[in-house]
Amino acid sequence: MEWGNPLLDDHVLALTGVARPKVCFLPTASGDADHYVVRFYRAFSADRCEPSHISLFRRETGVGDPRAHLLDQDLIYVGGGSLVSLLGTWRAHGLDVALHEAWRAGVVLCGGSAGSLCWFSHAVSSFHEGPSRRLEGLGFLPWSNAVHYSEEPGRRTAFLDAVADGMPPGYGVGDAAALHFVGTDLAEVVSSRPEARARYVCADGMGGASERELPVRYLGDAGAGGEALLAMAGGGALAGRAGMARGGGLAGGVAPARRLRHPQGPCPRPPLTTHAGSSRWAGEASPCRTGARRSIASCST
Amino acid sequence: MQDRSPALDRLVLDLTGKPVPRICFLPTASGDGRDQTTRFLERFSGWPCEPSILSLFRLGVDRIDPRRHLLAQDAIYVGGGSMRNLLAVWREHGVDETMRTAWERGVVLAGLSAGAMCWFAAGITMSGGAPRPAPGLGLLEGSMSVHADGEPERLPAYRRAVAAGELPAGYAVDDCAGLLFAGTGLRECVSSREGARVLYVAADGGGGVLERPLPVRPLPEAEPLGGGRDRVAESDGVSELRALRAGRHRWD
Repeated sequence: MEWGNPLLDDHVLALTGVARPKVCFLPTASGDADHYVVRFYRAFSADRCEPSHISLFRRETGVGDPRAHLLDQDLIYVGGGSLVSLLGTWRAHGLDVALHEAWRAGVVLCGGSAGSLCWFSHAVSSFHEGPSRRLEGLGFLPWSNAVHYSEEPGRRTAFLDAVADGMPPGYGVGDAAALHFVGTDLAEVVSSRPEARARYVCADGMGGASERELPVRYLGDAGAGGEALLAMAGGGALAGRAGMARGGGLAGGVAPARRLRHPQGPCPRPPLTTHAGSSRWAGEASPCRTGARRSIASCST
Repeated sequence: MQDRSPALDRLVLDLTGKPVPRICFLPTASGDGRDQTTRFLERFSGWPCEPSILSLFRLGVDRIDPRRHLLAQDAIYVGGGSMRNLLAVWREHGVDETMRTAWERGVVLAGLSAGAMCWFAAGITMSGGAPRPAPGLGLLEGSMSVHADGEPERLPAYRRAVAAGELPAGYAVDDCAGLLFAGTGLRECVSSREGARVLYVAADGGGGVLERPLPVRPLPEAEPLGGGRDRVAESDGVSELRALRAGRHRWD
């Protein structure tokens, strides 16, 4: 939901492979801020999708059965805000479990900012008192994540320090860039602005961390402004501003997982089993339904 | 923060016994709704106090350390909304522990609606749409249901839950009524509206409930803006609380 730049929004809609997808917005991380909900309905208007939202703070305005509603969607879009408050509220309503079910069922998951961080096993967030903090997310994706990576130097420093200190390797995503995962594997990095960047970060084996620039596919031709989006395929797709995640059917349509190879060198992709934080969902992430690819797109706008 | 009368809000300040108390508002249960925050600041900035807001959804912007900030207050005022969300978000931020510490150090804890029920062992939440029992912080024993007169579906659900043993005995409180505790003991019931009631509700052992209305002391009108502190008459309960607070130890 980048102002004046629909490229990432268009992209996540296309990832569903549905002509008029059902899209549900979760503004939980903002405390269900009204202005954010309004912005969603402007960006995802009824002429191109079936938009809805779930408010966990104003249940009288929301849907009756959040779990059933989420499972019925083609795309779930998680808004930004406070990751800690987001996870606490979701857990109180069982949405963490419902989202995992949706992801496994092929619903595309996406989100920006805190809505990106939430899908990963670990995250570095500045949405907390004092300096950036290392936090645990839902762990659908066995990686770590930092958003606003190019724009806020403090986040990059904190992310590098955390990975050097033993946090699982992961992705630093700049604004206007988005990671697209199929299952738990990165399929590609897309962007709504040509200059958007994303980096893979892992420990260098010498007590530090190293970064590797990832190839980014710009979604437009002209120099429009943009957000960052990250998507997962093979089980889920995330897309968003400061990280969006989608977990769902990546049927047809868009960029079927030209799998990115991390360049050889100091950043080999470690085996998934070594990642802490994925244990809760262990054994559940791999068995994708044939024909359905769980997709998560996260972005950092 | 009722529109009808500010007397209950004023009482919170008076209970601190400080000439210019520090009071922090937590709008967590509403998702840090801006209208609540605005109402709090409008009301309390007219009185001698240092009001502040703690938003757990905007810590990255405000850069406040919740624990340090809360423990530096004379009073903490919790707004209404979803009781279930309130406690879940507090727990995630560690604010539940901080509230207990603040209480033990003598900070006056107050709240409205979900912010009133959260101090008890349990309350009635509407967070799921229909009224249902929900656990609270448990600083106070027993249970509480707010809006006994304002939301017709709440009181019957509360009675049923107490009768069935799902909730411990407790208080059904009308809008504009308040309970004043020193330590874990109820000192008195107060109200800012004539006719506001407080019922004590307990299981009768036979599948029903016993109800007893408690005496409620109407509070005098408080000046909405800049009124003198002496406008709120002091009851024994208030004086007693102040005396206890002067020692800064736990009340019970």
